[in-house]
Amino acid sequence: MNFSFSDDQILLRNSARALLDEHCKPEHVRAMMDDKTGYGAPLWGEMAKLGWLGLPFPEQYGGAGLGLVELALVHEEMGRAAYPGPFLASVVLGGFPILLGGSAAQKEKWLPAVASGRARLTAALQEDRLDCDPAGVTTTAARAGDGWTLTGVKRFVPWAHVADAVLVPARGPEGLSLFLVDPKGAGASLKPVTGMDLGTRWSELRLEGAGVSADGLVGNAGGATAILESTLRRAAVCASAEMLGAARRSLDMAVGYAKVREQFGQLIGTFQAIRHKCAEMLMEVENSHSAVYYAAWALEAGAEDAAVAASICKSYVSESARKVCGEAIQVHGGIGFTWEYDLHLYFKRAKSLEVQFGDAEYHRELIAQHVSG
Amino acid sequence: MDLNYSPEDIAYRKQVRAWLEQNLPSSPPRTLEERKIWHRTLYDGGFLGMGWPTEYGGQGARPMEQAIVADEMARASAPAPTNGLGLGIVGPTIVVHGNEWQKKRYLPKILTAEEMWCQLYSEPNSGSDLASLKTSAEDKGDHFAVNGQKIWTSGGKVADWGLLLARTDPKAPKHKGITCFLMSMRQPGVEVRPLKQITGSAEFCEVFMTNARVEKENQIGKLGEGWAIANTTLGYERGGRSLARISGYASQYHRLVGAAKKLMRNGRPLIESPIVRQRVAKIWADLEVERYNALRVLTQLERGEHPGAGGSLTKLSYSEFEKRFMEVAQEILGPYGQLTDGAPAELALEIDTAVGEMGTWAYGFLWSRAGTIYAGSSEIQKNVIGERILGLPKESRADRGGAR
Repeated sequence: MNFSFSDDQILLRNSARALLDEHCKPEHVRAMMDDKTGYGAPLWGEMAKLGWLGLPFPEQYGGAGLGLVELALVHEEMGRAAYPGPFLASVVLGGFPILLGGSAAQKEKWLPAVASGRARLTAALQEDRLDCDPAGVTTTAARAGDGWTLTGVKRFVPWAHVADAVLVPARGPEGLSLFLVDPKGAGASLKPVTGMDLGTRWSELRLEGAGVSADGLVGNAGGATAILESTLRRAAVCASAEMLGAARRSLDMAVGYAKVREQFGQLIGTFQAIRHKCAEMLMEVENSHSAVYYAAWALEAGAEDAAVAASICKSYVSESARKVCGEAIQVHGGIGFTWEYDLHLYFKRAKSLEVQFGDAEYHRELIAQHVSG
Repeated sequence: MDLNYSPEDIAYRKQVRAWLEQNLPSSPPRTLEERKIWHRTLYDGGFLGMGWPTEYGGQGARPMEQAIVADEMARASAPAPTNGLGLGIVGPTIVVHGNEWQKKRYLPKILTAEEMWCQLYSEPNSGSDLASLKTSAEDKGDHFAVNGQKIWTSGGKVADWGLLLARTDPKAPKHKGITCFLMSMRQPGVEVRPLKQITGSAEFCEVFMTNARVEKENQIGKLGEGWAIANTTLGYERGGRSLARISGYASQYHRLVGAAKKLMRNGRPLIESPIVRQRVAKIWADLEVERYNALRVLTQLERGEHPGAGGSLTKLSYSEFEKRFMEVAQEILGPYGQLTDGAPAELALEIDTAVGEMGTWAYGFLWSRAGTIYAGSSEIQKNVIGERILGLPKESRADRGGAR
């Protein structure tokens, strides 16, 4: 029993923090808001060089062969930096389905390309009705020769505008199947939408008879549910780690401000109204840390309670990160409400991740199913 | 990071489980004498004073072994040992701060419950501001004479001895004039009156001291060091209890889910209501987060690190959780939850109240209000977290002469 990081894990965290402190300062985050792609190629290249883009892939596919705890550590640092880019989309949403369900050929083709940064992937997990339960998918896949044609609309597909392929669940004659779709191919069209977090890029993906060849099926026909559920759990934990990072940075800023800001002739940190708020924020952050790293370990180790741990993690952190990032604005008062001050970067990132990969309510229903048998 | 238990820990857990199956009393002990017999059985089994040095009758066990024993006891609904304050607070204080004579004289009889202990800290006007305590101990040459009143003394009725904080130097700054003593409760100068709480029972007492006698040999540490000693003992993260507490919550929780399947609202079982499902799921998520926190604390203790002010975070988190849990339980159980007697078996709760009385959901609900007050209220914990973990500036306080 050891609930603490190894020396290697601490080294990884420190190197992630150092890289992001240098290359992902708030000025970079702000510059990317106006960038067409929304992320910087130089930083992407650095991540590839450090092995982050293939972090959870086996070494034979150009990966680092590390686990979810390490992946969560990197995501936490990204949250702390409000990193804008397709890291989670490409490595987690794209990488895991192929790793978990892909053929040898698909792994050969995509994993080294993702790991080296040459290619980017993402997955389309939501439709109009926003149910991220795989059972709710209405997009259809019809047989066309030895391939398929897909029809339907996917919403809020993260970083699809820079993706080389999108993993799309669709319902075919054999049931729910998972397909690799070229978002720029015939029958597919992308329409970017703008949300309040400009470091999260979403698109609507419209499929009107989009063609998929025989080698674009990931896993067995009708076999998508298990792959999607596993991917969703991993994405939920990585997103929680990113929210945790955003919350911790917000707390650090609030505490820092409470130590220098004076009102009524005193530092505001001397007031219990502020101090107690900060103490509650720390409790939420530490509880979130416990939830994130327990779930990451449980998924990696294949623990009995891994699935419910992922839901506990996402439901807990979604709400506590929102609370902590929001209270940091409250501690700052007016300055925290300005565009110029950086707090809104973290507040908005946490808000954006809160509603992806299942919100708190969605995951609590999964927990209820678990405990009520 | 590896959250699997080691093969040794798994083997030890099996051994403890087997022992409990063999030795658990067929019916829970009710009287103090029955509880002392069960206590002695636990002691003979080698399950008390787990973390104390072996030369004073302890087991010298690792924190994980202590946690496993407590956890298995909670899972088996085993009655707690008696002399809880002796084992939890007084013993560790003597282990750390007592002299050799005191250790040899007092520790073994705490373990066997031959001598029962209480803690004489809080006073009517000194609750959160404990260091303002007024009870005096005056040096009479060959002994100290103690005068004053203590309150919230758990187990005062049955205690033979008390761990006392008293003021020995009224002229010194308030944190510097306090000394720690061991005082016999069995003397004419000590009067104990039970204090009935909102639960209707009286786990606590008021203690009145009128020229009560404390021998010189029973002073712990140096004169004026009492506050520092109290702080370290109050700060003991009783990590040994960390897992057991969660297992206790978990078995209550599963009973609650069972009740939610039986009870109906609007013609359907409560457990089918989406609102109830959300509430019940939130409690399970929070409960599991407390379990993960307990594993983090245990990791620290196993590495020989003291959680320090981190103990304030742990205590704040679980005591506030317990209130939320009991509130949801009451919402689900309705009037059944308020019964102090006569609830149908499947809607009843049996918890060990540590004084030989049967617990009910009503008792658990009322008792949950105590957790955020005793051993430093939630507000005090937040002050500690703010000052000692986050490094926020100290507040301006009249007794410290302004902000620092």
